[in-house]
Amino acid sequence: MKKLIVLLAFVASPLTAQDFSEGSEAKTWNLAGETPARFEAKVVDILCELTGDCPDNCGDGRRQLGLVRAADNVLVYPNKNSQPAFTGAAVEMLPFCGKDVEVDGLMIEDAELGAQNIYLLQKIRETGAEEWTKANRWTKEWAKNHPEAKGKGPWFRRDPRVKESIAKDGYFGLGLDVDKVYYEDNF
Amino acid sequence: MRRLLLSIAAAGSLSMPAYAAEQGERIQVTGELIDTWCYFSGVMGGPDAVVGSAHHTCALWCSAGGIPVGLLGEDGKVYMVLKIQDDDASASGDTLLSLASHQIEADGLFYERDGLNYIVVENVVADNDITYRNHEDYGAVPGFAVPDPNK
Repeated sequence: MKKLIVLLAFVASPLTAQDFSEGSEAKTWNLAGETPARFEAKVVDILCELTGDCPDNCGDGRRQLGLVRAADNVLVYPNKNSQPAFTGAAVEMLPFCGKDVEVDGLMIEDAELGAQNIYLLQKIRETGAEEWTKANRWTKEWAKNHPEAKGKGPWFRRDPRVKESIAKDGYFGLGLDVDKVYYEDNF
Repeated sequence: MRRLLLSIAAAGSLSMPAYAAEQGERIQVTGELIDTWCYFSGVMGGPDAVVGSAHHTCALWCSAGGIPVGLLGEDGKVYMVLKIQDDDASASGDTLLSLASHQIEADGLFYERDGLNYIVVENVVADNDITYRNHEDYGAVPGFAVPDPNK
């Protein structure tokens, strides 16, 4: 009976913060709030997870995806893939929709800004698999989807929607006259 | 003893989060649609520099690149946007891209989980365009967002 009571008391106690850095091979980005974090999780469609609005295949790439960590059921939000190119993580996780995975990357925490359980995904694999998949496919996927934007320079200088927006509203979004003044003052 | 065991078990069930999907709480938030990675990570500087007109081009890049968009409310909280009106494309979607850096007045449903705030924007009550003209103080953030015409 004593053992049972101890067990139940343990279950009743709130989960404390855990260290997920053990075994991580994540590369630093030299960010103030980063901590290496490797853990097992399930890939979920966040909108589905929170509201019950659940299309097939996690929304087929339209939606942001999350990681429900196996150890404590915490919903981790991968904001970033491993490319230093203004690219998110949903594309990297979509092939693993609904699957149990292991991930490695950097956890970002900043209490002052409200950053909690924000993650930079560097690699992912299905639980039990040998091979990791690097979380760096975004630019290749973009190139496949935008053959008309082929050319030199990074994707974000060639993206049709971005170019259209800048051509219309300028680099500061305030109109081309504001850009003109900026150019005159700075170049 | 039976009562004790029942109360401990009840306490256990209370402390284990119930993660079933639930109804959100109706809220109205006025704030700027921001690029959450630059804001949370500090990769490009402090929070005042990675919002507004100074960061507009980067906000476009990040939104098009599928980085989550957040609504930075006047209360200082960041609400991660999961859907905006009929558009559930929270990863690189057209609606969020078209509103990058804009101040909006949003009516929607609020959810909170594991320290992060989420919003399903049901109605953009007002789109006030870009209201924070901080490029006058910071220039472009990052600097290369505005290409040097001499290079």
